[in-house]
Amino acid sequence: MTTVAKIAVLSFAHPHAVSYVRALTGREDIELVATDPDHGERPAGESGGRDLAAQLGVRYLETYEAVWEWEPDAVVICAENVRHRALVEQAAAHGAHVLCEKPLATSVPDAEGMVAACEAAGVNLMVAHPVRFSTAFTALKQAYDAGTLGEVRAVVGTNNGKLPKGDRSWLVDPELAGGGSITDHTVHVADLLDSLFDGVAARSVYAVSNTVLHGDVGVETGGLVSIELDGGAVVTIDCSWSRPDSYPTWGGLTLQLTGDHGIADMDAFNTRVDGHSQAHGNNLWIPYGTDPDAAMISEFLDSIAEDRAPQPDGRSGLRTVRIVQAAYDSVRTGASVRL
Amino acid sequence: MLVTVPVHPPAPPLRVGMIGAGGIAGAHLPAWLNLGAAVSHFSTVGAEVLAARHGGVAVGSLEELLDLVDVVDIVTPTPSHLGYIEAAAAAGKHVFCEKPLARTSADARRAIEACRAAGVQLYPGHVVRYFSEYEATHRAVAAGTVGAVAVQRFTRTGSRPGPDWFHDPESSGGVVLDQMIHDLDFACWNAGPVDTVFARQARIGPGTDGVVSAHVVLQHVNGAISHAAGTWAQPGTAFRTTFEIAGSDGILRHDSGEHKPLVIDGGIRHECAAGTGLLPDVTGISPFELELGEIARAFMGGDPPRVSAEDGLAAILIAEAAITSVRTGQPVTVASIENVGVAA
Repeated sequence: MTTVAKIAVLSFAHPHAVSYVRALTGREDIELVATDPDHGERPAGESGGRDLAAQLGVRYLETYEAVWEWEPDAVVICAENVRHRALVEQAAAHGAHVLCEKPLATSVPDAEGMVAACEAAGVNLMVAHPVRFSTAFTALKQAYDAGTLGEVRAVVGTNNGKLPKGDRSWLVDPELAGGGSITDHTVHVADLLDSLFDGVAARSVYAVSNTVLHGDVGVETGGLVSIELDGGAVVTIDCSWSRPDSYPTWGGLTLQLTGDHGIADMDAFNTRVDGHSQAHGNNLWIPYGTDPDAAMISEFLDSIAEDRAPQPDGRSGLRTVRIVQAAYDSVRTGASVRL
Repeated sequence: MLVTVPVHPPAPPLRVGMIGAGGIAGAHLPAWLNLGAAVSHFSTVGAEVLAARHGGVAVGSLEELLDLVDVVDIVTPTPSHLGYIEAAAAAGKHVFCEKPLARTSADARRAIEACRAAGVQLYPGHVVRYFSEYEATHRAVAAGTVGAVAVQRFTRTGSRPGPDWFHDPESSGGVVLDQMIHDLDFACWNAGPVDTVFARQARIGPGTDGVVSAHVVLQHVNGAISHAAGTWAQPGTAFRTTFEIAGSDGILRHDSGEHKPLVIDGGIRHECAAGTGLLPDVTGISPFELELGEIARAFMGGDPPRVSAEDGLAAILIAEAAITSVRTGQPVTVASIENVGVAA
């Protein structure tokens, strides 16, 4: 790029905003601002607003209107899930490219509206799925594309974590999050399959869920989603928030692909040094290798500079939202849902 | 799978002359090319094969090579390092030399003095400092994550190297100087210089068919103690390293056999070539690109790299003490780096 890009982070509601701001402030080719106007709605004690911006060393604007007056080239949306659509549509209306935190939306009509708005405005819409850019998945995709596994017809994926409320109680609020673990975690694995299998759609979805773990939060915490993809591959995703509160890190993500030439087991967070210390107990995990957040931000900025669609794009995000909505339909009806 | 790291030398491309075409040349050459360097190479054997496989331009003589390039990367068998370093220094070229910097500490001192006299930079290829798991661990140790370093353990296992010269202790210095030197250097990066070395070596089977293990115990000046075990095992053995750093406030540990991002089982079709032999299967950030990129920036006037020629000499001094200890069965005090004279 010949000119410095102006990037705005919209809302600190999602905790990933912190890592995205850190990845963005490490770059010299952009000018960064942030706003978090709804932080006052969050319960007392949750970080946000001007104070968090100051901690992160990023220039703060008070309102979304002030951001639009600043005329950003692109925005990174980290608002509560149900607020994604309105902000994406505002960004499109102001001609700003969008990197939107996952899940893209909490309903198929919302996701379709966001894709349509960005396509009509001619701006890029990318969904924040950093695991695509991890060392592990990059190696897996290369092996799969090289034919090492042959034809893959069975996939087991897991994205298990602690209950994610921590510093952000809205993540377990059905109104603001749109659901529980099925909403939060199914899409990460579904996105990797969307990348591996070039956007193949789901043909049928069946799902079960429960609230055995953390039954007081009001959303499902356990979930298993069974998918048949067009072409016949069968997939099961464990999206449960099933790691105990004392687990050494937030959670993890694994993928097992079974093909006629080989079986691949990927662990996206296994490149780490383990430790125990007086200060951290058993919670000392030091990751190493490629920084997926920084690589994802680079893909977003490169796609703008090169005037091409980002990966994953809005249509990819829409396909994963369809799977989530079908999973909830299946849980409600007890039947397998055809798409 | 290697991901290119953002460490490109600026244009015009650095002109690199590689001397040697053995195993490590196959790691350095693609890394140089990915960094945008223009590579010529000279070797008494294997230069054409290397060029056909990876690229670069093979030239017919050392003189021709030195005329063509800005800097030299020496990846020859250990005994020839000093002669090539002196030739490159005499031609006014900066030098990067695969570890060990030289066959003996006296040779390493001569190499350092030759480069100092010629006004050229000299760095040894201690690439383990650039592997992500080791780099991340060193950063954590340096930041005090485990407090004061107390006890360190390292293991390094891989297929024994093929070429005969590795198995002639006079040529290679054996598994201690050739292979374990990586862990001796890393131990010092965390815990500082070493006072005393004790070592034992075990061999199963004769000659180049044998399996060799060396065990070395280090006492660091600051009171920390370290153990390194290095094995040249039978062909086909997976390359594997492990380490544990125990300090006053905690421990850090890693096993390359456990912390794999991706494992593929291909049944009888499986071509089990990756990650066996002398070099590990690398995913993520390429340590060779990180290393050569940092060295290239230093050659072009940037900051010095994380490992100096003196660090290379210090590691050789520890390896020499270990080799002496294997012979005598007694602990050996490491010679002071200042006392290694050119005439030693």
